[in-house]
Amino acid sequence: MKIRAIALNTFSGLVRNKIIILFCAGCICILLLMLTSLLGIRAVRARQNAEQMQMMVLPLIAGMMTFISGFGSLLAAWSAADSVAAEMRSGTVLAVLARPVHRWQFLLGKFLGVQLMMFVFVLIMLGLNYLLAWIGGATISTNPWVLVVYPMVRYMVYSALGTLLVTVMHPIIAFCVVLVVMIGSGLVAPGNPQTFMPDWLRTGLFYILPSSNLLSETRFLTITRATLKAAVWTDHATALLYGLDYALVCLVLAAWIFHSRSLSRD
Amino acid sequence: MADAVIEFQHVSKIYKRLFSEEKIAALSDVSFEALPGQVCAFLGPNGAGKTTSISILMGFFFANSGQVRVFGYPPGDIRAKEQIGFLPENFAFHKFLTAPKLLRFHLQLAGRDPAHAGSLIAELLAKVKLNGYEKLKIGKYSRGMVQRLGIAQALLCNPQLVVLDEPTSGLDPAGRREVLQLLSQLKAEGKTIFLSSHILPEVEQIADYAIIINRGKLVRSGRLQDLLAGGSQVEILADRAPAEPLPAAIVEPGPHGVRILVEAARKRETVESLWAAGCDVIAMNPLRSTLEELFLKEVDPGGGAS
Repeated sequence: MKIRAIALNTFSGLVRNKIIILFCAGCICILLLMLTSLLGIRAVRARQNAEQMQMMVLPLIAGMMTFISGFGSLLAAWSAADSVAAEMRSGTVLAVLARPVHRWQFLLGKFLGVQLMMFVFVLIMLGLNYLLAWIGGATISTNPWVLVVYPMVRYMVYSALGTLLVTVMHPIIAFCVVLVVMIGSGLVAPGNPQTFMPDWLRTGLFYILPSSNLLSETRFLTITRATLKAAVWTDHATALLYGLDYALVCLVLAAWIFHSRSLSRD
Repeated sequence: MADAVIEFQHVSKIYKRLFSEEKIAALSDVSFEALPGQVCAFLGPNGAGKTTSISILMGFFFANSGQVRVFGYPPGDIRAKEQIGFLPENFAFHKFLTAPKLLRFHLQLAGRDPAHAGSLIAELLAKVKLNGYEKLKIGKYSRGMVQRLGIAQALLCNPQLVVLDEPTSGLDPAGRREVLQLLSQLKAEGKTIFLSSHILPEVEQIADYAIIINRGKLVRSGRLQDLLAGGSQVEILADRAPAEPLPAAIVEPGPHGVRILVEAARKRETVESLWAAGCDVIAMNPLRSTLEELFLKEVDPGGGAS
């Protein structure tokens, strides 16, 4: 009940958070700009054949979906970091933790509140995926659960990372570190052709950084009538367990650090 | 003697700056205790270590050495926190909530079902004079209203120990009087109150026990009655001063005559001299210093002279 109360209170706070509203407004503006090009292509489709149309529209839709999905990772990290930091900044953490609440319960409640918000985000993203595909004249053949569960697990990883980092640093620095981690994990992904990094460093970072590629739902997203990328259930289970395990380790570390830190109004 | 509700034994706290050798001793070997049912005034100038002590007591900070127990448990223990109502200094809140929602949230944090708490919440809000503002978001409250709401949340779960850090800060004189009445009521109910405040005349009215700290060190503690009754002088109020000077007496003009201070051993002689000079003696009382005088004597013996 205590964790649930903290989670719901966090969710209520996050949906009213001005920085997050600004963040989302910026994302919507970029999306609208991208949508303009999509609608433009759609308007001239009468003069193109189907193959040309697909070559133009599909990368654009994939780009928009990757953008929204990547934005979600940043949103998850920022929300998690800011929801804890805001309580420290305002001093509300003192009134909350004066109640019979363990520090780990507080942190877990905050984390779950962020997940609640990210779930709403994922549902909107799912709807947007179908809408974009429809505007582009394509259909999404992927099973919807993949488009919900994969991003949720990825957002869990980034929000757990944000929670861990904010227990030791300022939320803006924590957010920047998450951004670097995101870019780094993309660079060291097996499919990336970059060559400036020595193999040993690349392998090391691959194991340390959360693999966004592995947890990317776009691996499975098929918006053409081409063959669906087949994945057996063990592939899904391994990838998702990897993400959940990563998030759990970050959360346990965050709880351990938070347990022994002094709490005062920052 | 009953088991102490709060025990501080040789507690020290040192703040260290990150990436620096600089150390600041916030508390040095501080020991005191508060007994059940006592109103304990925790006094000290700004920066004396009051908030640090309260933060250690609540489990927000960790002492570098010494032992702290609250209801026999280490600070921050859930079993201790279940019995504590706490008002932090400059109470902060979730601005998007209304007062009843905030109190419901705190009830849930205390592990209680808020579904049937409507009457309790209404009663508490009436107690702190916030009834009628149930629909107003807390972000729109004045400083005094927030402070009163903070007091309401501290009293929410019928705590046995109430820890109040500057409870009257931001309140107008009427609000301060109401808080004082509320504390007197809690005292009558047998609650233990641990109170930090700068408004000493008010504290003096309700406190049983006083702890004075300065620069992180305990300078005085004891029953307020004993601390304030230390003087051996007597105050005599007369309608006017005699023409002849009184031996070994200090004569000060007062609103309705004069105030004469003499050693207790000379009181009879002084009164007889006044009568002999035709003066009327209005009252005679043993001189009792005020908490403010005691406080200033302990923390600023030089009277602020540099």
